[in-house]
Amino acid sequence: MASTSIKRMNILIVDDSGVMRRIHKNILIEYGVEESDIIEAEDGKFALDYSMAKPIGLFLVDWNMPRMNGLDFVRKLRAMEAYRTTPIIMITSEAARYNVVEAIQAGVTNYIVKPIKGKALFEKIGKYLQA
Amino acid sequence: MRAQYINPFLKASMNLFKEYLGLKVTSGKPHLLDDPQNLEEVSGIIGLAGETKGAVVLSFSRETAIRMVSRLEGKEYTVLGNEVLDGVGELINIIAGNAKQDLLEFRIDISLPGVITGSSYKIRWPDGIPVVRIPFTTELGKFSVNVSLKDIA
Repeated sequence: MASTSIKRMNILIVDDSGVMRRIHKNILIEYGVEESDIIEAEDGKFALDYSMAKPIGLFLVDWNMPRMNGLDFVRKLRAMEAYRTTPIIMITSEAARYNVVEAIQAGVTNYIVKPIKGKALFEKIGKYLQA
Repeated sequence: MRAQYINPFLKASMNLFKEYLGLKVTSGKPHLLDDPQNLEEVSGIIGLAGETKGAVVLSFSRETAIRMVSRLEGKEYTVLGNEVLDGVGELINIIAGNAKQDLLEFRIDISLPGVITGSSYKIRWPDGIPVVRIPFTTELGKFSVNVSLKDIA
């Protein structure tokens, strides 16, 4: 499954569920992403700290999290010059249409409703990882 | 207690367990619980407020919860630790979030779900409303969806 054409970049997975972070991380690794390129954060505040400490090339962000939710994190990220166009994929169980609209308005690039299998996830995010 | 409030949760549960976890799921006959606190060791609680008020509770035995989360993550868990409870929480989150889409036509707010475990917890069901149990059987074990809703509108 691993591909040689995967671009090297820091990928930040933001989810308060350790199980979900590991599931998404394992999918990325299965599709050729280097494990050392993946960073995990358990809420928006930690994610914001990581984003300021090192350049991130792709964000996978949950919606419902303690301290700072995904939507607030995305808004703060988009206000930063360095992340105005960086792909942000929201992966959430919030399936209502108004949620999708709200997320897109906040600056999310792509919206994925959980549960999603590895192949389907990679089909959606693969284009952001191609070298 | 209208079926149209309950069906989205059953549909989301079936979708998750059948389509995503790849389980064979068989539903049993819905029945009223004689003892509304007769739940399994691990329960995920989704609260509803608005034109109907109450809770939807998915309840799993310890063994079923461990096997379900093992299947979800593709990792073998053997004990009911924080990681398994985290995984159960995620399963319940997915069911609640997915069900929301089919409840948009109603004036209903869904709480962020919580997970509770132990042998002596009590659920605060609405007063005077029976609890309906819909039992399910899978190859990873049994679980049930338990519902009590007091319609306001």
